[in-house]
Amino acid sequence: MATLDHPELRESLNILLKSSRPRLERVLRNFEIPPEDAEDILQDAQLTLLYKWDKIRSPESWLIGTVKKKCIMYWRKRRGSLCEAVDTAILDLLAVPQAPDQEKAELTCDLNRVLSRLSTRCRSLLKLRYGLGYGPTEVAEQMGYRISSIRKVTNRCLAALTRQLLAVGFQQPDGEPQDG
Amino acid sequence: MDKLDEPDRHPTPGHLSAFGRGRLSRRRSREVVRHLLTDCATCRQAAERIPCYGEAFHRSWLEVERRQESLALERAAAPELLRELLAQTGERQWEMVAQEPRFQTWTLCELLLDASRDWGFQSPARALELSQLGIDVAMRLDPAVYGETRVNDLFARAWVTLGNAQRIRSDFAAAEKSFGQAERLLKQGTGDPLEKAHLLLHRASFLGNQQRFSEAFRLLDRVASIARRCDDAQLHGKALITRGFLLGIAHDPEAAIRYLAAGIRKLDTVSDPRLLVAAHHNLTLYLTESGRYREALGLLENARPLYHQVGDQMSLIRLRWLEGKIAAALGQFLEAEELLKGVRQELIERELGFDTALLSLDLADVYIRQGRSAEMRRLAEEMIPIFRSRDIHRESLAALLTFQKAAEMESVTLGLIREVSGYLKESRAASSLRSREPR
Repeated sequence: MATLDHPELRESLNILLKSSRPRLERVLRNFEIPPEDAEDILQDAQLTLLYKWDKIRSPESWLIGTVKKKCIMYWRKRRGSLCEAVDTAILDLLAVPQAPDQEKAELTCDLNRVLSRLSTRCRSLLKLRYGLGYGPTEVAEQMGYRISSIRKVTNRCLAALTRQLLAVGFQQPDGEPQDG
Repeated sequence: MDKLDEPDRHPTPGHLSAFGRGRLSRRRSREVVRHLLTDCATCRQAAERIPCYGEAFHRSWLEVERRQESLALERAAAPELLRELLAQTGERQWEMVAQEPRFQTWTLCELLLDASRDWGFQSPARALELSQLGIDVAMRLDPAVYGETRVNDLFARAWVTLGNAQRIRSDFAAAEKSFGQAERLLKQGTGDPLEKAHLLLHRASFLGNQQRFSEAFRLLDRVASIARRCDDAQLHGKALITRGFLLGIAHDPEAAIRYLAAGIRKLDTVSDPRLLVAAHHNLTLYLTESGRYREALGLLENARPLYHQVGDQMSLIRLRWLEGKIAAALGQFLEAEELLKGVRQELIERELGFDTALLSLDLADVYIRQGRSAEMRRLAEEMIPIFRSRDIHRESLAALLTFQKAAEMESVTLGLIREVSGYLKESRAASSLRSREPR
């Protein structure tokens, strides 16, 4: 692609960013990217497009594809920490030493209701983790998993649980396999 | 229990949002999770609300505009900076890049890499120097200005360019290291699939030059898949043309012809004439070698203006070589001899030992078909000293000595010429006539 002069580049970019905006908004919405973080994703993709303009032959396809990829990466990174936050919070809640019996019972009841909506495998695993306080090795032994794979299985179950609590960031518009 | 842990208290939208983004304290997270465990429909709805991205688009555009201004200045200055830099001695060039920030720009780096690509065919040594300088500039780019991941992308591209220059010079060990370095840098880059495709394309050529065809074809399949995803016909064309070239090396000229023709159809004729010339050249060559002389001639006539448009001396020399081969194949021996002798002299002057040997064998083919054994003997005698003065594999030299012996005994056959020629091509497929694959 021939190098564009500054006014041409500016105009071409302007036209492209305007015409691609509805599609970009749809991508961001489908991936449920929080508006506060959308700016980083958009800016990074658009600046890369600006610098590589001469090397990119189909800028709109490139831009949409790049933003999609960044959205996937965004949630891949976020999902891990979100699941970890949910897990830690539940473990903390269960570990409160002097909570009244009624509160403990309510918590157990709420937790069981959410767990009942998960697959049998995840329900059993998380019951061992939260109900009986088993560590990963004990869960693996109890459920017949290899130690090396228990972390992965646990993470998938935590993702399924988190999805039940907060249905954000777990939709997969482009068919990426879901956790859980 | 802390009052805030009460499950029936709704978290604020801000807390919900911060939790979703992993930016809430452990204590606050506990409160939010405790509340969400109650199956609160209101909060689920709040979390699923339709976001508004207007502000994100606006602010992003402002930053792009700001960067566009400075990039425009950089682009305007870069061609002159390149001229200034390349007018210096090699050592001085390195000093200037190291000491003067005006040479440490994205655009100058890109120009150096493009120049290296353009010189790759004409002067591999020059291409190597330019790519090394490009790496030096890339290394000095300010991540605060260009963005760290983007700098890594360009740095990787510079290593790919160096790897390619090393491949052209048949320095395969160094090329392997350069491609490895590029791969490592791309992992810390933006994830741009086009950069990845660029690396895969050149790595495929590198593997093909080492006769590792199945690995090379796998990489080219990935390039084609990226091209389709990015809607990039030019990239797809490059993948097809590279495959065509490698199929030619792999002794499958019919498949090579199919892929080259398909690749040419996908190329944009304006944006990369050098690539187009390379593709036409290889296609004409394989048509000739398959005995499809009329098609080859027609194609050559169509492509002739392109050779002149590209205009570098090596392209024109190779055009005449190809014309000589076709003339010989059509039995136009006088014309063939004249063309091939002229090209041979130019190759000798450029110290291109392998190409000279290959061309001499084409000339030998003309002589033997006319029964001119005296010329054949003289030609064979002249070949060995040219070869001895170069860094040539011992095995190739042995093959040429066999040819010389046969010429002395007047027992050279067309079969022997083809055998020696085939041997030479295989032993240095990378840098011979057939190495004009797209870069």
